[in-house]
Formats: sequence, C-alpha cells, structure tokens
Amino acid sequence: MKERTKIILPILGDLVLTGGRPVLAILLALLAGSAIILIYGSDPLQAYAAMLDGAVGNRAALANTGVRTAPLLLGGLAVAFGFKANLLNVGVEGQIYAGGAAAAAVGITPLPVPPWLHLTLAVLAGFLGGAAWGLIPAYLKAYRGVSEIVITLMMNYVGIQFASLLVHDPSPLAKPGAFYPQSPLILPSARLPVLIKGTSLHAGLILGVILAVLIYLLLKYTPFGFRTRMTGQNPEAARFAGVKVRRQIALVMLISAGLGGLAGTGEVLGLKLALYDYFACGLGYDAIAVALMANANPLGVILSALFFGALRAGAGKMQVVAGIETPISQVIQALAILFVIAIGFGESRRLARRLRREEEEEEEVLADGG
Amino acid sequence: MEGSFAALSDWLAASIRLAAPLMLAGAGGLFTERVGIFNIGIEGAMLVGAMAAVWGSLVTENLLLATLIAMLAGGLIALVHAYLTVTRRANQIVTGAAINLFALGITNLLNTPLYADFKYRPRVELYPVVAPAFLQKIPVLGPIFFAQPVIVWVAFVLPFLMAWALYRTSWGLNVRAVGDHPHAVASAGLNVFALKYAGVIISGLAAGLGGAALVLADLGLFAPNMTAGRGFAVMAAFVVGRWNPVYVAAAGILFGAADALQLRGQTLGLAIPYQVFVMLPYLLTIALLAGFVGRTIAPKTVGETYDPEKL
Repeated sequence: MKERTKIILPILGDLVLTGGRPVLAILLALLAGSAIILIYGSDPLQAYAAMLDGAVGNRAALANTGVRTAPLLLGGLAVAFGFKANLLNVGVEGQIYAGGAAAAAVGITPLPVPPWLHLTLAVLAGFLGGAAWGLIPAYLKAYRGVSEIVITLMMNYVGIQFASLLVHDPSPLAKPGAFYPQSPLILPSARLPVLIKGTSLHAGLILGVILAVLIYLLLKYTPFGFRTRMTGQNPEAARFAGVKVRRQIALVMLISAGLGGLAGTGEVLGLKLALYDYFACGLGYDAIAVALMANANPLGVILSALFFGALRAGAGKMQVVAGIETPISQVIQALAILFVIAIGFGESRRLARRLRREEEEEEEVLADGG
Repeated sequence: MEGSFAALSDWLAASIRLAAPLMLAGAGGLFTERVGIFNIGIEGAMLVGAMAAVWGSLVTENLLLATLIAMLAGGLIALVHAYLTVTRRANQIVTGAAINLFALGITNLLNTPLYADFKYRPRVELYPVVAPAFLQKIPVLGPIFFAQPVIVWVAFVLPFLMAWALYRTSWGLNVRAVGDHPHAVASAGLNVFALKYAGVIISGLAAGLGGAALVLADLGLFAPNMTAGRGFAVMAAFVVGRWNPVYVAAAGILFGAADALQLRGQTLGLAIPYQVFVMLPYLLTIALLAGFVGRTIAPKTVGETYDPEKL
C-alpha cells in the first residue's frame, strides 16, 4: 500500500506539473480574472461565456482569433527556437519591424513575375529582413561572447525607429501625404491569400502552423536539430563531440530572428497591407510569453498562441456584454504566465530533491557494501 | 543670435526635465543588476508607479504621499520579480516580460476607474518650482537648474546618495560582491538572498519614483503606456554609465538631451530626422557592449540563477 502511493503520487504530480502545468496556470489566471470581474460588478460566468462566444462563437469570431494568433505563433516560434540553443531572443519586436519593412519594400514594388513568385519573394524578404536584424547579436554572441539579451533588447528600439524613418517623408517607402505615416499599399500580387472569405484571416496562420511542425521535426530528427539542442544543453560537451558551437549559435540566432521577421511579414502582407509606423505594439514581447507558456516546444507554441489569440479576440465581446474593458485579456495572460513561472519551480525543486535522495541512497549502498 | 541662445537654453532645460525620470530610475535601478538580477520589469514598475502617483495624488492631495505611494507600487512589482527570480529561480527575462505585460494590462484596465469619480479627467498638482525668482533669472543656469520642479533636484541628489551607499558602506561592498561572486559572499557568512532581494526591491522603488517624476513633473495626467520604453532606456543607461549611480544619471541626462533634441529638431531646423535621435542611446549601448567604443564590464553573474548548493 505504502509502496503504491509512493509510485503513483510522483507520477500524478509530474503529469500535473508538466503536461497540465500551463492548463493549471490558465485556470488559476481565469479564477483571478473572475475576481476582477466581480469587482467590476459583473457575473464572471456570463463574462467568460461572452469571451468564448467572441473567440469561437461564429465564423467571424474564429477568423478574428486566427488573425490574432498568427503573429503570436510566428513570434513565439522565434523565441522558442532560440531557447533550444539557450539563446534568449528578446528582440522579436525589432525583428518584426525589420522583417515587415523588408517584406513591404518587395511587396509594393511591381515585379515582372507571376503573383505566387512575387508573394514568395516578399515573404523571403521578410525572413531575411528579420535575420539581418539578428546579425549583430548573432556575431556578438557567437564570436565575442557578448550576451544576446541586452543587445536584442536595444535592437528593438533601433528597429522601431528605423521602420519609422522608412515611412516618413523623404524615404522612398513613404506614402506622400498619408494621414498616418505608412508605406503605399502592398500590391495584390504580394498579399497573403485570405482563408475565409469576407474576413481578414490570412495565410500567415497556415505559414505559422507549417513552420511549427517543420521546426519540431527539425529539432527532433535532424543532425542540425541535435546539434542545436546539444549546444543549448551543454556547449562544452557539444564542442568535444565536434559541434562547431560558435557557428551553431550564430545560425540559430539568425534563424530565430528570421522567424521574428516573418511575424512582421504576416502582419504587413496579410493584415495591415502596408507598413505602418509603430504597427507591432509590443507583439514581440508577447511572443516571449507565448514561448514560455509552451515550454519552448514548437507544437506547444501553436496551442499557447491560440490561447492568447482567443483571449484577445474574445475580449471585445466581453466588453460589450459584461462591460469589462479589453485590457482584462492582457491581465489574464500575464497572470497565466506568472502562475506558470511560479508552478514551474516546484517541479525543478522536486526533481532536484529526488536526485539528491537517490544519490544519497546510492552512497549509502556503496558505504554499506564497502 | 539672441534667438538661438534662447533655443539652446530651452533645449538644455527640457533635456534635464526629460532626464529626471531616467536619472531617478537609473540611479536606484542599477542595484538590481549589481546583485546579479536582470529586471526588465523596471518598465512595468515605472508605468505602475506613474499611475499610483496620480491615484495617490487624487486620494491624498499630498505630493509627498503620492510620491511614496508610487515608490511603494514600484517596490511591490519588484518584490514579485525578486520572489520569482531569486526564491523560485525563474528566468529573469521571461519573468520581467510577464511583469511588464501585467503592468500594461492592469494600468490600462484601471485607467477608466481611476478617474471614475470625475466628470473630466483632472490634472493633479505638479511638483512645485521652489527656487526664488532671482535664481531662476540667472542666464542658462536659471532655466536649466533653478526653474525646474523640485523632483529635478532630487534627481541630482539621489545618484550621489546611491553612490555613497554603493561605494562607501559595508552593505554596498556586499552588494557589489554579490553580483560578481555570490558564493564567496555566502561563504563569508552573508545572506545572499537578502542582498538580492534588497537590490531588486530598490530598483522597483526607484522605478516607481521615476514613474512619479514622469507624471507629476510635467503632465499631471496618466496616459496608457505613457512610459513608452523608458524602462528599457534606463537599462541602456546602466550600460553607458557602467553601473555607477552618478555615471548612470549622467547617461540619463545624455538620453534626455537626445529626447529633447528629437522633440525640438524641427523647430531648430535640423536636417537630421528625429528618429535618429531616438535611436542614439540604444546604438551607443550596443556599441559599448560590443566593445566598439571602450569596454564596459557588467556585474559578472547578472542573468544567472543563484543556487546555493551549486558552485
């Protein structure tokens, strides 16, 4: 009897803490959110029902959820991919602007090529634009040993202002006399196709899902993926095993930044249809949260981006029905992340304790044997 | 000639006014990195501090109390960061990002209820200008230093106080040591966790004060996301100022000057687009970190998780 509980309890605990950890955190966050809703004098159940309806209730709602999921998914992948090589790409915000600007530059230029090729080139430009924004942190991290964290963070503001420069007057990318600083409209041949007619749900979402699966497979089954994970887990061992660690770090940083660029590309070629001043509004920081929620698992990123997207899409309806203002979605998101972080440590501490106990037992056995 | 002189002195005065929040948040904020903890949540703590300052002013109608409330709010936000990163050993950047998201959400959410009792959003009382008129009339020095709200003076005094604490007290010695060699500090019998908590919380108190300066020196109104990245500029100032309170404050003045130039670029007839001035502090920080212009050395263990059992 005692033996059985000893086995089952840890398994149950691990289930809750690994697979169920984000779910538990989300439930706690929703619970805390309902306290706020109560303070507002509304009924939490009714409010959440409205939110659900606004997120998945009909075609338009679903499309809205998809539209909000797309950039979070691509940005989340950028952070998650970097994380596998122990790189913290805090620069997705800047990469969104760099990628968006590059995609817009190609997208507004008439090219003598078929539409599918124009779109492909524009998307490729977006990836390269983002990757270009990763060049400096990649070089500095890999070859000069400078932490990527502060560098990518600072690059955000350079990126935001750089894009702003591009949509203001003397720039060739600026639309003269526009009410809000922007580029000319993306040509129809370079726009991401609309998935559901009559909505703005665009193929950026599909791109994100495909890339998530590809990155998952890449990390799990290819030598490149193996080298990446090895670099992240133990660079010294990787070096001994013959991995060119510096090159690997630089490559992962560049790809991560490129994915960040794609997050901006989707917004520009699929949703906004022009490069606007300050269009990302912090998406790049939300991407960090999305990746964390998924524990940096690329497939998990799909789910966590979907959750964040749905929360945002549903918040509008919730405001109309229950009178809670839309920032409640940001609060619930943030609380969910904070709960994930808070629960997460329990797991590692438990693991550490178990390892220590096993070690001690082993030592005892050895001592007894000797 | 007269006109350009007035414009220059106006620019310098604006530089100082814009720099004050950065100087305050910077001089105290660097303690978090000194004890080895990245706190990008300084941005969120400033934002919450700004709102708390307005709320405090509306409720207490007392500037000093409003300022203390702002500091308390910032400190509370930092306490959460300290708990998660020091006690629970969570990733410092991820935690900070979550805290910023929370701060943005909660201030956006409370922005309407904050002014719920008022038909029109009232501007709260601003920090007074206390220098006698004759001092304010001194050319250049008057407008730059004396015709400023008193919080600007605090911004000039605080860095020296912080430098004294950091370099002239034994506690400060411990703080400097804990960021570089936490295990050595622990084996000397000192409480590493207490030092780390103190460093992070001081950064929050300072960020709250910076937030109060942001809102009570100039505008008197809270606006959504009004910090707009100033918390990250503060982190840049740590690098430029080499984690020394006085130099960090000086970096804050430099950033304020760039900001003021950005706002005045068009009236001064400068040919350089304003975005370049906004970029400058960040480019400078990158160049310094990269070692392109001189070298700046961060506290050795900043960003790392401290585990007392693992050397």
